[in-house]
Amino acid sequence: MGLQVVKETEEDRLMTLSVGPQHPGSGHFRFVIKVDGDYIVYCDPDPGYVHRGEEKMAEYRNVIQNIPHLERPVIHDSNNITYAYSLAIEELMAIEVPRRGQFIRAIASELNRQVYTLYWLAIYGIFLGHSTMFMWPAGDRELFIDLLERLTGARVTHAYNIPGGVRNDMPQGFKEKCLSHIAYFEKRLREYEDIFYNMPLFRQRTEGVGILTKEDAIKLGVTGSVLRASGVPYDIRKVEPYDVYNEIDFKVQYMKTCDSFARSYVPFLDMKESCNIMRQLLDKMPDSGDVRTKLQPNPKGPPGESYRRVESGRGALGYYIVSDGTPKPYRVKISVGSFRNMLALNHLLVGNKLADMPSIYWSLNYWPVEADR
Amino acid sequence: MSYTESFRFGEFIGSVLWLVFWVLIIFSLVGLPLLFVVLFYVPLPPLGDTPLTPYLFLTMVVDPTRTVPIIKFLIHTDLFRVAAFPGFMYAALIAAATIFIERKFLAKMQLRYGPLYVGKVEGILQLMADGLKLISKEIIVPAAADKPIFWAAPVAFVAVAGALAALIPVAPGWVVADVDVGLLAIFAILGFFPLITLLFAWASNSKYPFIGGLRALHQIIAFEIPFIIAALSVVILAGTLNLTGIVESQMASYWFVFFLPISAFVFYISSLAELERIPFDLPEAESEIVAGWITETSGMIYGLIQLGTYVKLYALAALFVVLFLGGWAGPVIFPQEILPGYTGEKIYNPTTLSAIFWFTIKTFGVIMLMLLPRGISTRIRIDILLHTGWYKLIVLSFINMFVALALIYGGVLGPGGLLVR
Amino acid sequence: MSSASGFIKAIESGSKHLVIRRFTFRYPEEKLRFVGDGYQFDPKKGVGIAGYRGRHILLHDKCTGCQLCAIACEGIAEAIGMVKVDENWKQNKKSIMPQIDYGKCVFCGFCVDACPFYALFMTNDYELSSFTKEHLIYTPQQLEVKPKYDGDIEIKITDRGATHG
Repeated sequence: MGLQVVKETEEDRLMTLSVGPQHPGSGHFRFVIKVDGDYIVYCDPDPGYVHRGEEKMAEYRNVIQNIPHLERPVIHDSNNITYAYSLAIEELMAIEVPRRGQFIRAIASELNRQVYTLYWLAIYGIFLGHSTMFMWPAGDRELFIDLLERLTGARVTHAYNIPGGVRNDMPQGFKEKCLSHIAYFEKRLREYEDIFYNMPLFRQRTEGVGILTKEDAIKLGVTGSVLRASGVPYDIRKVEPYDVYNEIDFKVQYMKTCDSFARSYVPFLDMKESCNIMRQLLDKMPDSGDVRTKLQPNPKGPPGESYRRVESGRGALGYYIVSDGTPKPYRVKISVGSFRNMLALNHLLVGNKLADMPSIYWSLNYWPVEADR
Repeated sequence: MSYTESFRFGEFIGSVLWLVFWVLIIFSLVGLPLLFVVLFYVPLPPLGDTPLTPYLFLTMVVDPTRTVPIIKFLIHTDLFRVAAFPGFMYAALIAAATIFIERKFLAKMQLRYGPLYVGKVEGILQLMADGLKLISKEIIVPAAADKPIFWAAPVAFVAVAGALAALIPVAPGWVVADVDVGLLAIFAILGFFPLITLLFAWASNSKYPFIGGLRALHQIIAFEIPFIIAALSVVILAGTLNLTGIVESQMASYWFVFFLPISAFVFYISSLAELERIPFDLPEAESEIVAGWITETSGMIYGLIQLGTYVKLYALAALFVVLFLGGWAGPVIFPQEILPGYTGEKIYNPTTLSAIFWFTIKTFGVIMLMLLPRGISTRIRIDILLHTGWYKLIVLSFINMFVALALIYGGVLGPGGLLVR
Repeated sequence: MSSASGFIKAIESGSKHLVIRRFTFRYPEEKLRFVGDGYQFDPKKGVGIAGYRGRHILLHDKCTGCQLCAIACEGIAEAIGMVKVDENWKQNKKSIMPQIDYGKCVFCGFCVDACPFYALFMTNDYELSSFTKEHLIYTPQQLEVKPKYDGDIEIKITDRGATHG
């Protein structure tokens, strides 16, 4: 048998990798990439590993029973995902929330935003190989989880925001503890800058990588910190203020450089601004008052529909609820930031090196469980 | 129905007795003859005028006047040198201590505890527990893997790392292989590592090891050149390639790190890259390519590769100490006699012991310096790595080589120089 | 040269942490302290009282067997079932009381919100593991026992870092 000369085809050069659910760098999500040497030429995201049918299951439970169930898509950020739901139901049933309840809801939402962003930052550190940046945010998260546990009664599964207000009032001494934890946390943020954001190796890996221009960002419909890192100062707390956010004075943090570094730095700036917001909220809060409007046991409202949005850790989180006059909602549609940011994954990964894959993928602030609902 | 309910004391005693029985059988039927055979091949010294037979050797524990000369003789045999003192056991013990120290050091930097519960004092037996666990795991070989190379490559890895540690002198006269061109032999042995890595990655027959193996090849080859040039500037100052000679020339003048700081820095960065430590751990980058070229390892194969990596860490840290920090130079701190007024048999040599002491302290210092970047740095990307290795480090190492040449020609160092004591 | 200063700042920051106190607390030997006695709900005012949501406690002299807690839980976790008890209480004509299956309970506390008679509260106890699934179903007699929980560790912020102490 003689030797044969085989011409190398395009298909032979490419190697198909499945960055699948069993990969330390992907979470509960799979994307199939084809690699030519070190460059990615094709990317196909494959969500759906954690799909549990949340929207359908919400039609079988009444409005209050839906709370522990609908907070599960993003259990780390549970106060934000139930915030949007409560706002939508209150609009449907014309429920007024007392003022102190609105303030406490906003405080819980800001605390949860810190918890989620710290978790995201921890995973970002370990994706880039920085094990210290994994441990420090994960430890500092404990400060806020401790506060939330005093407030709501559970460390992660809060079930705190309900249509009508919040479930219980603040315990004694919460305000002082909150202020002392926030003061300590701001000192820790300076350490993060020293060891991570100003570290030359990190900057070299993320500056100029994965550029998402302003026009592309608006066209693809990304939201949240990804949008703000591409130069669009859009924050739902400023654009459509809900509850008491129109009384709080804060600046929308955005950066103009549109690269991976900006996408990783904007949540950090958000955290700093969040400490500011929390101080103002604690200051302006009325000292006493109701925190909850009493509802009838099986609350129901007139038929109608409503759509409300909230700024969560990942972007705009909206609920579209259609009610037909019965206690159980007719249709609940959850619009999450992660699923919209996934479109940018395909657009950004193609043409970049394989080594840039973790820094681009995780900087898009994608939470797989929420995207699958 | 819980496990505690089905415990029977009698069965427990029975299993302990069964274990004791088997230990005695193995010791007497296998262990003792093995010991005799080993002693048969070790040339034993004559004791007084009677030749020492293995039987007489084993009675030395009874008669103390025979013990000390026999032990001193055994310490100077070749077998001891290769297996125990400057050889494998010493390197393996330092490697094991390094693994433990690394975990505790990183844990303290990350505000947590590290291993804590195994062993009474802060988890000191954790290494042993990990070793036992790795031995008891099943080794899974991928179906289409190239089996001879898959099994041979990790053993070769440890063997080559051991060969590297065999060339390093620990005290005057204590080196396993005293080669006249010691430094060149080290460079030659270092050239084996990318080969073994690539062979193992290819034999694993899987995509992620393939990417990891290629990255290891690029990385190690790129950083060998600044490594060699930085070491060459030391050779220029010392005038010899023999490692013991380099240490002696540092003892005659001052430590070379004062004359060649840039070379020391380049050598340090290149050895971090040779060892695949963070920030240069691309071949094993966990979040991108699962575990790089060691993805398909499990059980004791993984254990062997970790052992080889840490023995290599010891070898390169010891090389740094020998080349730049003066090897074993330091004041003699052990007293001449073990007790004042003791005039019996000389039990130890104080110069050798202080040489070993200083060498070990300096090696641990350099190892801690090599462990530090893991706590503070992210991983580097391959194009930045190659750019740094091929451009920046080679230029920097040439700078110091010219400084070294100037020092020799200016008569500052070298034979009869100004700074030679 | 900014990259050199970046590295030096990182090394400085990392080494500073070698003298900061460690943050972990050693769980079985040290336990967290909770403020208060557990989550409770006041049906008259319609608002809860802040506390930790752990294991439930059932006050037998207040429970009337109205099943509102079981109905509340039906849409959430289906963890509460009513069983017949041997006790005779004036307010509990049917002699039924809730039994809670902790294999299914998500500790949300809506059953406590639903109870109108101040009979069901939650306590600080969270160490509920057992060897079998059947042992996780707590009968009304087991739910009557008030657990003893003494933890005394909380986050203290000192000038050498935050620690659990």
